[in-house]
Amino acid sequence: MIELDDITRTYGDGAVTTPVLEGISFRVEQGEYAAIMGTSGTGKSTLMNLLGLLDRPSGGRYLLGGTDVTELDDAALSHLRNKKIGFVFQQFHLLERTSAKKNVLLPLIYAERYPPDADRLAEQALVTVGLADRVNYRPNELSGGQQQRVAIARALVNDPELILADEPTGNLDRRSGLEVLGVFKRLHAEGRTILVVTHDQAVAEHADRIIVLKDGRVAEDRRVDHPRNVEAELAELKQQEARA
Amino acid sequence: MRPLRIAGVGIEALAAHKLRTFLMTAGTLVGVAALTVVMAMGEGTRRKIMKRIQNFGPDAIMIPAGGGKRPGPDMSTTTLTLQDADAIRRDVPGLRIVSPMAWSFQMSVKRDDRHYQAIVWGVEPGWHDAWRWYTVTGEGISAADLATKAPVCVLGQTVKRELFGEEYAIGQHIYINRVRLRVAGVLGERGASPMGGDFDNRVILPLTTAMRRVMNVDHLGAIRVITDDPARLDEQAEAIGRLLRKRHHIEPPEEDDFRVITAEIIARFATGSSRTLSILLAVLAGLSLVVGGVVLMNILLISVKERTKEIGLRRAVGASRRDVFTQFLAESLSVTLLGMAAGLLVGCGLCGALPRFSRVPIAISWEPIALAAAAAVAVGTFFGIQPARRAARLDPVEALR
Repeated sequence: MIELDDITRTYGDGAVTTPVLEGISFRVEQGEYAAIMGTSGTGKSTLMNLLGLLDRPSGGRYLLGGTDVTELDDAALSHLRNKKIGFVFQQFHLLERTSAKKNVLLPLIYAERYPPDADRLAEQALVTVGLADRVNYRPNELSGGQQQRVAIARALVNDPELILADEPTGNLDRRSGLEVLGVFKRLHAEGRTILVVTHDQAVAEHADRIIVLKDGRVAEDRRVDHPRNVEAELAELKQQEARA
Repeated sequence: MRPLRIAGVGIEALAAHKLRTFLMTAGTLVGVAALTVVMAMGEGTRRKIMKRIQNFGPDAIMIPAGGGKRPGPDMSTTTLTLQDADAIRRDVPGLRIVSPMAWSFQMSVKRDDRHYQAIVWGVEPGWHDAWRWYTVTGEGISAADLATKAPVCVLGQTVKRELFGEEYAIGQHIYINRVRLRVAGVLGERGASPMGGDFDNRVILPLTTAMRRVMNVDHLGAIRVITDDPARLDEQAEAIGRLLRKRHHIEPPEEDDFRVITAEIIARFATGSSRTLSILLAVLAGLSLVVGGVVLMNILLISVKERTKEIGLRRAVGASRRDVFTQFLAESLSVTLLGMAAGLLVGCGLCGALPRFSRVPIAISWEPIALAAAAAVAVGTFFGIQPARRAARLDPVEALR
């Protein structure tokens, strides 16, 4: 699915250059649920932008689904983003004054062919994230957790192979965060590839695999033998809330 | 179609920000409205001139007595004669009709107790053809009338109406300078004269009757010439000028005591008053379009800045640079096209209202619509490209931060 081979990324040009990624190599297979971890400034956002084709590496090779994307032009990269990648951001990035459904429809506008059943696809994506009853709500009428789930629905509507989430729970309270992670778990169970970038160990431990970045390099890459159980944690949280 | 879908995004943004959209539209609206009025005035003036040229006769040369610049009649010059007309007939080739005229302006025409101030022309039978102006009832001036100095007249529509109203005029009598004249015919309606006056305010007499019996003069007021070949009109006008100068013993630095007038000269005088207003409005139209375009560009630039995150998101979900460019250019073009439509409506409204306040001739044609569309597209493109380019160049990573 993803194959990174000695990826580097340097900022600035000419005299002063700052290397951020200094040779990253790893593979992510189809259907994996991996977390990319690291403290701030270790290049995980940069890596996320590269993986999401929003940025180009300064060196190295990036194969996405077998295609070398390092040399593609803007139009081709945009097309790949649209077709193969779904983004989930820390700040949700929903369009204001626009209904949940219209927000979810957004990627379809840029698809090569607008599906005739686009409305149904958007509604279905909202059902998947548990917002069947919020289809026509606007972002300001939704809670943070609900907004993030609309954003996930938007990431799903094009049926992408890869879901890239950048600190998806960073702006959410614990319970909303767990609900979002619950959605990821279900998507993973359906066979989707999910990459979550986070600085939060607790969030990372929901994934099957953790890749730790340090100073622009992969410091650690390990399997999680017993990923955290979202349902159990949610149930426990509810109990605590009930007792309090 | 994908580009249309993306253009639709730009148009949706307009619908969502109505005040902003109105502000962006205003300049184009005023510009196009002014443009429409200018064009309508231009077209109105053109038609007025065409009408005057048509009335004057595109194949005609008028030689009125008296020099000077303005093509109005001069009653005091007595040097233009029937012999001059004969000489032109004889010496200038390619002329179909040479029609000498004696004329008097402001003569009192009486019938019983009714008076009317009319222009009186003494003419030869060829006059009817020279002006393509014929009687609608009764007879015109004939060769026999001319030979016998017959006391007959032909009335223009205005004179007929003033003296006879709805009555049948043929065979009745009128008086000019106490000369009793039988009404032989009534001319067809002619409208405005080449100089803008009422052309139907005329009484036509046989030239001999006019010179000997009514006006008591030996000289002519004017000679009208119709050419066989309009392509040679200027050359013939030159020849006539040379001939008359020679006959009147005028050496070039000396001023002519006649003028040679063609349709071209008439057209030059007809442009007149609406010109200044046209220029002002054209300047206003241009300024509004430019200022409106700058306002449009600025609002779009601000909007690009405000919507940085939105643009970043669109890029993330699959919009290419080109798509973003298309979206913003579509937004800009939609604004100016909207302004164009509103401007055309306002402009046409003004054109409808203008004749009530002013005598400026107005005629609406398809040209302003074509020009307005071209202006709208030009302004929308020119001032939309910069913001669209800026939006397209945004780095999605930066934009999403």
